[in-house]
Amino acid sequence: MMAKRKKIKPIYILLFVGLFLISLFMILPFFWMLSNSLKSTKEILLDPKHLIPVNFTISGYVKVLTKSPFFYWLRNSLFITITNTTVILLTSTIVGFVFSKFQFRFKKTLFLLVLATMMVPSHTSMIPGFLLINALGLYNTAGALIIPSFVNAFGIFLSKQACDDIPNELIEAARMEGASNWNIYTRIVIPLIRPTIGALTIFTFLNYWNDYLNPLIMINDIKKMTLPLALSYFSSQHTADLSATMAASALIMLPVIAVFVLFQKQFIKGIATTGMK
Amino acid sequence: MKNKKFVYFVLIPIFLHMLIFIVGPIIAGFGISMMDYNPLRDTNDFVGLANFKQLINDPVLMKALMNTLMFVGVTVVLNIAFSLMIAQLISIFKSNKIRGFFRMAFFLPCVAPLVASSVVWARSIYPTATGLANMMLKTIGVNPVNWLGDPNVLMWSIIVFTIWVDIGYNIILFSAGIDGIPTNFYEAAEMDGASAWHKFRFITLPLLGRTMTFVIIMTLISHFQMFAQFSVMVLKSGPQNSGLVLTSYVYKTAFELKNMGYASAIAVLLFAIIFVITLIQQKIQKVDWDY
Repeated sequence: MMAKRKKIKPIYILLFVGLFLISLFMILPFFWMLSNSLKSTKEILLDPKHLIPVNFTISGYVKVLTKSPFFYWLRNSLFITITNTTVILLTSTIVGFVFSKFQFRFKKTLFLLVLATMMVPSHTSMIPGFLLINALGLYNTAGALIIPSFVNAFGIFLSKQACDDIPNELIEAARMEGASNWNIYTRIVIPLIRPTIGALTIFTFLNYWNDYLNPLIMINDIKKMTLPLALSYFSSQHTADLSATMAASALIMLPVIAVFVLFQKQFIKGIATTGMK
Repeated sequence: MKNKKFVYFVLIPIFLHMLIFIVGPIIAGFGISMMDYNPLRDTNDFVGLANFKQLINDPVLMKALMNTLMFVGVTVVLNIAFSLMIAQLISIFKSNKIRGFFRMAFFLPCVAPLVASSVVWARSIYPTATGLANMMLKTIGVNPVNWLGDPNVLMWSIIVFTIWVDIGYNIILFSAGIDGIPTNFYEAAEMDGASAWHKFRFITLPLLGRTMTFVIIMTLISHFQMFAQFSVMVLKSGPQNSGLVLTSYVYKTAFELKNMGYASAIAVLLFAIIFVITLIQQKIQKVDWDY
């Protein structure tokens, strides 16, 4: 046993070093972004080759935070993302519960309809979606990014899968005791499908926090933009100011990366079990 | 009775919402593709299949379609090859700490907002004079490359970026698949003196069947719909339309040219491509993969 271990070790070290170098390449763009965000634009243009800034400055960050409506963007992003995530969690779990534990007419057809909507690329429904929002007078409002998102087909699908694992006897027993459907939903279903709710929370949150296409077609007013749209706008307005553009990118990325590093186990488990993107 | 009420109470508002905001727009999308539709006009005419006839004769659409197929084909093949290799290498380590560290490093670009990553690469990695990419090439004596301005290079630059951004998902999925393979298969092979390559070729690869189908299909579908990096990194449509893909062509036609009828026809084409992939998936999934 000992002999075998000794023989394998150098290969392991080589492999580790190899993978480590590749993962450095994965992280390098983030490091470069931070580094450039702490340089002056002058340094980036005239003497760009240093990995660590020669003269540290936070002027890029100051410019983003004071010369642009950054806190409006942050507030819009937070408001839209939190609202959508909350509503989608509620609708997905309750509809998943209904599809899993109740018998009613056209159940199969309705569920297939839900699944079928997942197949359609967003670019196919985006033009009528835009016209509808316009007709409802919601263009250029946060509502344009919230109201169409109340129901999420993938969330329903996942919740139904999770509810299918709950034994029917458990639900029946609760009914015998006189529990209402609402009580069964809140007291039995929700606690039992918690892992799925966790995964769904993470991905719904990321999905709306990172969304670019919908804000791009629905929002026109600078103060009403969400962070990703605002960043693309900001970088096209300040093409000359690289330091501020990198600072803005860093400000948008860091909260997401911090949350990821904190919850990485749940993230990775969530993808591995749901295949969610 | 109580149950029936509950079902109605839940499903009626949900399906009304779906009808208005999801199903309605999908159907309307097909309808508008048969109209000469400009939102700024008062009347818009039904033109039948005229938009689709125009599609066939549109050299720009051809270019966008070819760019899309090239982008998706190359990116998906490389993505799957790299992610499978890296997942296999990570799985060799038994320590959960080491595995966790590598998975985190490779997954980091997946959680960062795609727009922000695109801005970082477009503004501080790919620029010709000040970008990191050319500075790294310079240290090994290679001439600077015009990453985003040369029509022959532009799409490759976006492919490299997209692999960097998206590889983490598939690494996680393949890792889960590899971890799900019973270890006694490997132990038996080791007793027969199988090499690492043989174990990969004759155990991992065949037993990864179900994961593999899922990963290929999902990666194909998501890559056909990629948009943000093209929107941020490609200026206009790139030199000689070299950076134009179907999604960006739909967007430009609908929202810059306001020609929503023709844009919807392009979107229907995109839908048809994804529909065919989904059909293939349905066919394959019927095969039993159990072991």
